[in-house]
Amino acid sequence: MNRRFLAGARSGFRIFLPLSIGLIPWALVTGVALTSAGLNVVEAMGMNLMVYAGVAQIATLPLIVAGAPLWLIGLTALALNLRFLIFSAAIARGFRGMPLRLRIPSGYLLIDGVFALCTERMLTVHDRHWRFGYFVAPSLWGWLLWQSFVLTGVLGAGALPQGWSLEFMATIALMVILVPLSKNRSMLVAALVGGVASVLLRDMPLKLGVIVAIVLGIVAGFAASRAMAEHKKET
Amino acid sequence: MDGIWLWISFALVSMATHFPRGSFIVLGQRASLPPAVLGALRYAPAAALAAIVAPGVFVVEGALQPFNPKFAAAIAVLVVALRWKNPWLPFIIGMGVLLGLRKGFGF
Repeated sequence: MNRRFLAGARSGFRIFLPLSIGLIPWALVTGVALTSAGLNVVEAMGMNLMVYAGVAQIATLPLIVAGAPLWLIGLTALALNLRFLIFSAAIARGFRGMPLRLRIPSGYLLIDGVFALCTERMLTVHDRHWRFGYFVAPSLWGWLLWQSFVLTGVLGAGALPQGWSLEFMATIALMVILVPLSKNRSMLVAALVGGVASVLLRDMPLKLGVIVAIVLGIVAGFAASRAMAEHKKET
Repeated sequence: MDGIWLWISFALVSMATHFPRGSFIVLGQRASLPPAVLGALRYAPAAALAAIVAPGVFVVEGALQPFNPKFAAAIAVLVVALRWKNPWLPFIIGMGVLLGLRKGFGF
């Protein structure tokens, strides 16, 4: 650990700290959702350590609990996590010059908030020790907050009364992520088509309707952005 | 689903999370995606979230039932999430509306 690493770590931590507080309600809700779905403490925290992605966890749980086929669970998680593929591609150059033993755990730790805040300086700063500190300090802090408050939610959920429709908190959590995404017009088209198709196709066997709906949503969003670009060119 | 299947599905979701996350960071300079593919993938999260949320809001016991307490609560969440940045408020208002309608009015 050298001085440049520590300087980077301090900057990264300072920039992420205020935003990181926003992780707390998510983590609590995820903990409650894992428990409401019927997982015990070991299963809930096992999933939480293995997956470390609130959206993928909350969204695949109903499928897992309903006994949906594994490939459907895997494909749904993959669709939800495709944003990480884009994040990973965008921030990759920020890890230039770092050995594989640092890049692999960095991939595990990559979350939306740190990506959004840290990518720009990761790409522009030259010193790789500084860059690693700048990425890993806020990432580890986010990880620690997330794990502690999911555990709090898991342990606290047992104290909550039954019959309070707490599983709806998972729906609220997913909606809160969806709303800012849908402010973009073609994203809204993708969401509307995906949502409507999923409701209409709900009786397809093996919950296949979900995957078909996601594909239709992607196609619709892509088509909408193309159509809008064309329209702009004409006017 | 229980026991070993539960853990197998966790492992699967874990792989489906960490392959995309690690992909380009781990591969480094050796890989890049064509811009058209990256462009289309941008819509995957929104489409997937909506596809998972919508049946939970509009379907009651297998039947399409647009006007139900969950729908009212979802509208409240939408309004709150659009207007305020507070991360707790959508949960408080959404659950308040749902429980108010279910417990208070017996829907």
